[in-house]
Amino acid sequence: MGNIYHNKTAQWLAYAVFFAAIGAVPLFQDDSFLLNQLATYGVYGMLALSISLCWGFGGILNLGQGIAFGLGAYGMAMTMQMQTQTESNPIPPFMLNNSLEHLPLLWVPFQSTAAGIFLAIAVPTFFCVVFGGIMFRARVSGVFFTIMTLAMLSAFYTIILDQQAYTGGANGLSPPSALQLGSIEIDPYSPIAYWIVFVFLCASTVLAKLLTQSSFGLVTQAIRDDSERVRFLGYSVAGYETMIYTISGLIAAIAGCCWVMLVQYVSPAQLDVGFSLSMVIWAAIGGRHSLIGAMIGAFVIQGAQSYLGDTFLSTWLLLLGGFFIIVVRFLPNGLASLLEAGLGLLSSRRSSAPHGNGAGEPVAIKEEAY
Amino acid sequence: MSGLLEIQHLSKNFDTTKVINDFSMTVDEGTICCLLGPNGAGKTTTIDLITGRVKPTSGTILFANEDITGRDEHEIARAGVGRKFQVPAVLRDMTVRQNLEVAYSRQTNPFWNLFKFHRAGLKQKFDEVADLAGLTRRLDVIAGNLSHGETQWLEIGMVLMQEPRLMLMDEPIAGMTEGEIEKTARIFRDLRKTTTLIVVEHDMGFVRQIADVVTVMHMGSLLAQGTLSEIEANARVREVYLGEQEAA
Repeated sequence: MGNIYHNKTAQWLAYAVFFAAIGAVPLFQDDSFLLNQLATYGVYGMLALSISLCWGFGGILNLGQGIAFGLGAYGMAMTMQMQTQTESNPIPPFMLNNSLEHLPLLWVPFQSTAAGIFLAIAVPTFFCVVFGGIMFRARVSGVFFTIMTLAMLSAFYTIILDQQAYTGGANGLSPPSALQLGSIEIDPYSPIAYWIVFVFLCASTVLAKLLTQSSFGLVTQAIRDDSERVRFLGYSVAGYETMIYTISGLIAAIAGCCWVMLVQYVSPAQLDVGFSLSMVIWAAIGGRHSLIGAMIGAFVIQGAQSYLGDTFLSTWLLLLGGFFIIVVRFLPNGLASLLEAGLGLLSSRRSSAPHGNGAGEPVAIKEEAY
Repeated sequence: MSGLLEIQHLSKNFDTTKVINDFSMTVDEGTICCLLGPNGAGKTTTIDLITGRVKPTSGTILFANEDITGRDEHEIARAGVGRKFQVPAVLRDMTVRQNLEVAYSRQTNPFWNLFKFHRAGLKQKFDEVADLAGLTRRLDVIAGNLSHGETQWLEIGMVLMQEPRLMLMDEPIAGMTEGEIEKTARIFRDLRKTTTLIVVEHDMGFVRQIADVVTVMHMGSLLAQGTLSEIEANARVREVYLGEQEAA
């Protein structure tokens, strides 16, 4: 009965096939450069997923996801940088160039790999709790919240650019060697690095999917629909909004760590407004209401950028812009809605029973609720 | 004797306009109180003040002997006050089933709800309310596609799912057919066994069927309170309210 697109079992099955396919890639592909590139797409997939969760599902458009991603990435880069410093050479070279004589207090915790990675995740998460908490409690919502995230992103960008002695300024940080975990070195061009990203992508997707099906997900959906009404049912709207914003930020922070592990580099460009905008474009083109759709949006756009971008150079941006306009105009819910409509057509042809809404729009059927 | 809800010297000013002016009333547990008054008398504002949507300028509101004055909407709702809006407010993009499920708000903590997939006690309550609201066959319909009468029923159902001690119903029968009104009156009278209701309504026939106590407001103040026959005999009420109706 109903559209198979909305069938929970079918959805989980689709996820399983999708992840089995992308997880198996290193078994058939030994071009290590390509593997590394595909792994970075996995990172973009996580970012698109985080946007889909916050915007598509929670109704909160965040144009400052680069904050969580960037802080995570800087934390990881600082950790990897400190791994290469020895007792005879305790200070990163760029600090010496900026005439710092001692390691700044900010950098001290990153001497320990465990503490460094913990901070790389914890700091952006904590930022989301505080910033989101303040905003949502004050009932800042909709486009006003979006503007605040944009302002916040620009502030972080400026601070990082400006504090050259502590952050490496415009040059950013480029740790000279790969991440060491215990005695193992994670070669960014190896299948291991690919699978690490894969595991995080897979885990965050499964958790995000479960979250959307939990009671929390139901309330969040209700808040997206009519936040005013939900307050009178006894739910703290600010609490739920802060929660979904923070979970989304947490995923982006993990993505930031993975990204630096793969490319051994971070710069203020990761906190550039353009990059945060592209995350939203991936989710919009792929389908912000579909976690997997958003991810595929990231893969398609970034993949096209890598290959078509070389061919068309700056014309590529025009092509992307045109494509974006077409999708927004004709498929406001992204490419995923094509699949939804297609499967809906298929199931309505199979069973002639009417759905109860005459407009021919797909009826969201929620299977087994208890 | 103290009632379930006690409003004491409540005032609310919007700029210099006194919308509610030194208004006091008491609602006893297990009764239906009908709130009447001409347009602009402050009935909906009073409901807004009780549920925390609007914060009072002065005065106190006690619910079950607890001071709820100026608290946030969700805290007041959690204390046991449920509300139905004048313009039916349901979650229009969600199914009837989802609307009723969300309204079952025993667990409101976002953290715990992350790990909840099955809500204890939901099924029994759900079936009972869906049946009462006559929506058993419409559960998978998107709420935005319901008829006006069905939407009214869905919102009443949502308030019932909340299991509140006090229900505030702002014009619950607007847009309902005669038969539906009869049914609503019957259900409201039944609800009195477990809950207390405040009903804002213009339909005097409906008020006659359900009211234990009638409170009449005028210009933001209490004009009269008593049984319906007392109210109908009250000279001042006739003057400002019923009198105007006769003239119209």
